[in-house]
Amino acid sequence: MTYIVKTNQLTKVFDGKEVVSAVNMHVKKGEIYGFLGPNGAGKTTVMKMLTNLTKPTSGDIEVFGQKLTDQSYEVLKRLGTIIEYPIFYEDLTAKETLELHCEYMGYYDKKGISHVLDLVKLTNTEEKRVKDFSLGMKQRLGIARAIITKPELLILDEPINGLDPVGIKEIRELFKMLCKEYGITLIVSSHILGEIEQLADTIGVIKNGRLITEVSMEAVNRSQVDYIEVIVNDGKKAALILESTLNITNFKLIDDNCIRIYESTASQKVLSKTLIEHDIEIEGISKKSSSLEDYFLKLINGGVVNA
Amino acid sequence: MLNLMRLEMKKFHVGSYIKRAIFANFVILAIMFMLLFITKIEGDAVFENYQTVLSIIDSTVRAVFIIFASALIAKLIISEFKYKTITLAFMYPINRKKLMASKLAIIVLFTFSAIIVSNVFVSAVFCTIISNLHLFSDTLTISLIIQRIPIVIMNAIAASCIALIPLYFGMRKYSIPVTIISSIFIVSVVSSNTGNFSLNDIIFIPIALAIIGISVAYASFRKIEKMDI
Repeated sequence: MTYIVKTNQLTKVFDGKEVVSAVNMHVKKGEIYGFLGPNGAGKTTVMKMLTNLTKPTSGDIEVFGQKLTDQSYEVLKRLGTIIEYPIFYEDLTAKETLELHCEYMGYYDKKGISHVLDLVKLTNTEEKRVKDFSLGMKQRLGIARAIITKPELLILDEPINGLDPVGIKEIRELFKMLCKEYGITLIVSSHILGEIEQLADTIGVIKNGRLITEVSMEAVNRSQVDYIEVIVNDGKKAALILESTLNITNFKLIDDNCIRIYESTASQKVLSKTLIEHDIEIEGISKKSSSLEDYFLKLINGGVVNA
Repeated sequence: MLNLMRLEMKKFHVGSYIKRAIFANFVILAIMFMLLFITKIEGDAVFENYQTVLSIIDSTVRAVFIIFASALIAKLIISEFKYKTITLAFMYPINRKKLMASKLAIIVLFTFSAIIVSNVFVSAVFCTIISNLHLFSDTLTISLIIQRIPIVIMNAIAASCIALIPLYFGMRKYSIPVTIISSIFIVSVVSSNTGNFSLNDIIFIPIALAIIGISVAYASFRKIEKMDI
């Protein structure tokens, strides 16, 4: 397996407090890696270490197969980043910002500026000073700056902060496009599960500085089960009928009145018809799926999930 | 390195500081004329010959541009840390030490050139005008000018290095006011002039301060590659 980013027992201590503990992260080439965790979990610190801004207390980081050291400057040419929030030299215009960025990065294709501003939907702003930009516009300009040099790896810390719902959707599509069409690998952090869920191929969950799990979305989706929940007056009797008449065995009696049926072939229509025929009163019947949110909340709150 | 300096100057619009330096020159001229008239009215014998006049112009110019340098330090270095734009600068594939060195080079070279050019400009204008007023008994001779050249250059070199001392105070809490105020304090020590005597005339003092300035600059980025941003 080719990993574009790999960390081994990555640890960072600030003032005697361990903010990142023994993180072993694996990011595959060409995927979108969602880095999920509550505020203050250590996401930004990990991302700062990946970009060599902050130095690890112990453990090591491999980016593009090379170990990061204090002298790893060349590797930065291949990265596009937003850390914490997009920072700018606010007196410069959008165009000057991107021009200067290209020069510092050693990338000389200034024609790309208008193209990249179009991509993030920031048109007619080239001559506008950054200090007159709204937070959402700054976020877009930050993304434009990160992608203008066509990096192989994008490290984006909370890139959707400050964007409106339409903007979030546009940027999400942009990220997917960059990943699919340009083969760029993305590491995107967020504390918003819904966002990561719609974007990522692999999710790494971090809590209190520890990487609790690293799991592919495919595996998560596989583990998500749908079920039909039936509320009846006599749960035990209903269970008996399910087994004897409908040959359904994959169900669970939650309490005296509630049954959850996990069998995928069971239909609500047949179920209700059969139960009524056997004099069972049905108070409610509904199809449910245990959401991804439940899955991650369980993880973050300390539960153990086998995905 | 030169390219890096060019980019840094572009990033911070250093060109606008040239305009401000020109403005500062006119302010220095105004101060000189004010001093001249006050001393004449009061009957003080401060401006009595060209030797003293040139020396006063030199210390005033140096004082102004040491403070001016602190404004550049604040803009090019302190504000980068204060407003976290340094995270951006350190994300570029550029050696951190080289980046800091190019910033310091801009500050030192700017200060040095400004002191030399301003000395020439202010002295030329001031002396031309007062020579027409026939206020002094002596005349401005070529030999006096030649004698002043190495002194002005040496003083300018020392002042450009002394100008880096505020970096130390400013970097402690990334404070722009502290940077500027410490430069004013340094100026008040080295450029104060009492009875034609200033601390700068004890050769040991400007040399020691210049060495401190260089050491401060070195210390400020000695460990920069290990620094957490």
